[in-house]
Amino acid sequence: MPNVVLRAENLTKTYRTAENFLTVLDDVSFSVEQGDSLAIIGPSGSGKTTLLGLCAGLDVATSGTISLMDFKLSAMSEDDRAYLRNQYVGFVFQNFQLLSTLTALENVMVPLELRGERNVAPKAKALLDRVGLSKRLNHYPSQLSGGEQQRVAIARAFMTDPKILFADEPTGNLDEENAQHVTSLLFGMNKEQNTTLVLVTHNLELAAMTQRVIKMRGGRMVV
Amino acid sequence: MMEYYIKLKRTVRPVFRDRWVWSMAWRDARHNFSRLFLFAASLITGITAVVALDSLNRTLQGDIDRNAKELLGADFAVSGDKKFGSELQALFDSTGLPQASEADMASMVLFMRSNESRLIRLVALTEGFPFYGKVETQPANAAAQLQRGRYAMLDASLATQFEVSSGDSIRVGNSVFTVAGVVDEIPGGGGLMSTFTPSVYIPLRELDSTGLVQYGSRVTYKRYFKTANDAGAKQLEESLGPIVKQRGYSFDTVQSRKEGLGEGFMSIYRFFSLLGFLALILGCIGVASSVHIYAGEKREEVAVLRCIGSSGWQAFNIYFIQIFVLGVISSVIGSVLGIGITQALPLLLKDIIPFEVGFTFSWSPLILGLLLGTLVSFLFSLLPLVAVRFVPPLTVLRAQPGTAPRRSKTQLVAMALIGLFPLAFAAWQTRSWLTGTFFFLGLLGALLALTGVALALLWAVRRFFPTNAGFVLRHSLSSLFRPNNQTRVLLVTIGLGALIISTLNVIQESMLSQVEFTGQENQSNTILFDIQREQRDGVIQLMQDHQLKVNQVVPIITCRLREVKGKTVESLTADTTRQRSNWALTREYRITYRDTLTRSEELLKGEVQHKKAGRDSVWVTVSEDVAERLAITMGDSLVFDMQGVPMTVYLAGVRKIDWPKDPPNFIFVFPTGVLEDAPQIYVTSTRITDRQQAGRFQQQLVQQYPNVSLIDLQLILGTINKLFNDLGLVIRFLALFSILTGLIVLAGAVINSKFIRKKENVLLRTIGARTRQITMITLIEYAWLGLFSALTGMVLSLGGGWLLTKFFFEITFAFDWMELLLIGGGVILLTMVIGWWNSRDVISAPPLQILRGEG
Repeated sequence: MPNVVLRAENLTKTYRTAENFLTVLDDVSFSVEQGDSLAIIGPSGSGKTTLLGLCAGLDVATSGTISLMDFKLSAMSEDDRAYLRNQYVGFVFQNFQLLSTLTALENVMVPLELRGERNVAPKAKALLDRVGLSKRLNHYPSQLSGGEQQRVAIARAFMTDPKILFADEPTGNLDEENAQHVTSLLFGMNKEQNTTLVLVTHNLELAAMTQRVIKMRGGRMVV
Repeated sequence: MMEYYIKLKRTVRPVFRDRWVWSMAWRDARHNFSRLFLFAASLITGITAVVALDSLNRTLQGDIDRNAKELLGADFAVSGDKKFGSELQALFDSTGLPQASEADMASMVLFMRSNESRLIRLVALTEGFPFYGKVETQPANAAAQLQRGRYAMLDASLATQFEVSSGDSIRVGNSVFTVAGVVDEIPGGGGLMSTFTPSVYIPLRELDSTGLVQYGSRVTYKRYFKTANDAGAKQLEESLGPIVKQRGYSFDTVQSRKEGLGEGFMSIYRFFSLLGFLALILGCIGVASSVHIYAGEKREEVAVLRCIGSSGWQAFNIYFIQIFVLGVISSVIGSVLGIGITQALPLLLKDIIPFEVGFTFSWSPLILGLLLGTLVSFLFSLLPLVAVRFVPPLTVLRAQPGTAPRRSKTQLVAMALIGLFPLAFAAWQTRSWLTGTFFFLGLLGALLALTGVALALLWAVRRFFPTNAGFVLRHSLSSLFRPNNQTRVLLVTIGLGALIISTLNVIQESMLSQVEFTGQENQSNTILFDIQREQRDGVIQLMQDHQLKVNQVVPIITCRLREVKGKTVESLTADTTRQRSNWALTREYRITYRDTLTRSEELLKGEVQHKKAGRDSVWVTVSEDVAERLAITMGDSLVFDMQGVPMTVYLAGVRKIDWPKDPPNFIFVFPTGVLEDAPQIYVTSTRITDRQQAGRFQQQLVQQYPNVSLIDLQLILGTINKLFNDLGLVIRFLALFSILTGLIVLAGAVINSKFIRKKENVLLRTIGARTRQITMITLIEYAWLGLFSALTGMVLSLGGGWLLTKFFFEITFAFDWMELLLIGGGVILLTMVIGWWNSRDVISAPPLQILRGEG
């Protein structure tokens, strides 16, 4: 098991616009060790989400390298990166991103089923029970509140026992009470499973709960 | 890097072994089937149309095959407009085969009980006919009784119309016959022919007693043969055929009758094929359009699946399985519906087809529908669905506007197959690569033209934008060329729908106009013919007694050709290398004499017929088709046999004749001062508008001049109108499939653009636009789309319709402006209604609710 789970070196991301090139991430380097928690903060347009997307293998950097679990993402095909995500990575999004046509239980089961595993329902039920939704197993996302949907998303994220969890504004769409509930679940389960946590947030209180904070401005790391 | 290769052994499971994909396909589909309604509806409609038309064609073809011998009633038949000479009689007898004779001619019949009369086809038969099939009569023994005395039988339509039953008396010519029964079905009869001229059947030995066969009477003589087997028929065709043909008779075999009938249905079948082709192509567009919408809706879910580890192919397979399974189900439904409709079609066609069309179940159309539907679902969903493979997982974090569509190998293959499919299908449907290519190129041309118009429209809107117009008008116009607009796609699809609907209308109008008589005010609607010289003044007097205007009295002389350009007809018919037609050389001509042209004639070449002084004095004119058949040109000599007297004439000119206009019309017209003393009969015409007056006149005419026949054009026109109304019903019924598919495509196209419009409308509403304003913007925008699509479609349909009628159906081009305008108005209205219907939730709901709903 590598000690450094995620390593970013000289990351640059440039987009081509109609007239010229727009650099949204400029020479960013950092690393995260197993079990650490890291918050990426900064104003809108500072490159936080782009950085998260690159680290999770959702996009490819224009230059620089990212190693996730010692795999160099730039050398992998999109389908290989998807496979890697399924094996080692969990996600929690601001907009929950549950599959609307699947029940809460089915949403949680999906990642393990994707691996070809069978009899995954007991584990999914246990996780839903852990997030306090044992009575909402067969509800569809549209029948759940925002806080409940985010808890289902957390259960789904931990279903594969991920080595690293990426969270994009996990409390951004929630009221204070639900935000607290989700935060405690996120950090609690992270600790229980010794998962590495990388989160993007505007919420400084949430960021303060992590072991490290990276501050972004104009596509550059300022701290 | 070594570790990367060791650890990441990703196993790729084939789709059939990937349980997750199948279970996701089912889970996702449970609540999604309604979203695929457009897909299923498009496919069902297209397949239903193709299966119904194919099944109908098979049924008709099968029935023609089964009934072939009954259609002729014999294995071989010889016919001609003169009695068979002794030499031919001897030849017929030498065959030793069972034979039967028939003579038929037009005549009037008087129904003694009601004192009414009508023009009929008099069929005089000997015993023995038919050799195949049965004469179905009421009572059943009527056919047998016919030969036992002075009995007659009538077609059922005639018996019903004049309320005649067994035991009643009818008068034909000078003879009175007792009705033995009513004919429901007779080999060689029925169908269209009996609709126009119903038949009265008498024994052949009684024909002379009627006194109808006189100078100038047009009688068709037939001899039927029964052979032991098909080989015998073939042998007879080879031995007798050339001889009878050389003598100016024609012959019919079971095969030629079958082909003739098949040829007769070819126009209708081609039209059905065109409908089937269009319905399926529209169905294909509907499939592609609905899958495109579906794939667009699934982008976010695909991105989530990609985030949690699904491969591109796995995501694709989830939706492909759904589409494919639904495609198979829809194909089955479409095929079953198509077969069901085929059962209903014979009811609509019963007056048009000369035999009873029975429904016979066949697996072939079902299998065809299933295969075709599956292929269409596969091909036309492949292209929009493959895009799912390339949805970037980053979409879960933010929209990806810059993701240009990638062209994978799969997409390129799909595009090539999609291009090939309509061509192959059209060729298969029309059973001809040439015609199929014509269909395909027409469709391609239409799509290119529609795209061209769409581009021109967008350019024109930008170039001449009404900057000073009101907000509503400006905004509705600017919507046409906003970024990511669907205007081009909408114009092409709606325009194609409009094009198809109006092309069908143009073709239908052209087909129907083929038989429309120009029933103008001063035109004759009643023709009296076979008036003998001594009867002429009496008939004219009778007309005047009934206050009927005598429009024309035309003399007719019957004659035959003896020589053409110095060569005898015998030598010409014996010459196998000749270009002339036997029919034109040996037929009996009915000619007239006058020095002018009639309203239905136009001189194409030379001069009008005239008489010169001295030798070579008689100069005649001929119709253009017979001039071609006889290969004669100006100045060529012809010798006619005028009742045994030879007469040499020269060709003065060639006429173009509009045959249905102002009858009677003639192939050869002589000048005056030549034939006045020759034996002749007369034709006269008048216009009768009062039915009662017509009845009284007819009754007296038949009683006083039984051999004179009367054609009531109004009656024929009424029959033709009814017939084409029935046919029109079938055409409209089948065109409905294409129109229905067009509407589905239209709905799909509007829904396709709904998601973009929805966001705009919400923003407008949020910043204070009133419901009325948004409604107006929506309606006007769709009205623009509808207007330009309809205009494009209609203009193209006139061009396409002209090409199709001229080169494909080989009929005269005709269209009705009013109907086209109605179609155009309908398309605009429909586009507006469908656009408004799909936007009404956006218009009426509070903006916050929609903003939340959109997440």
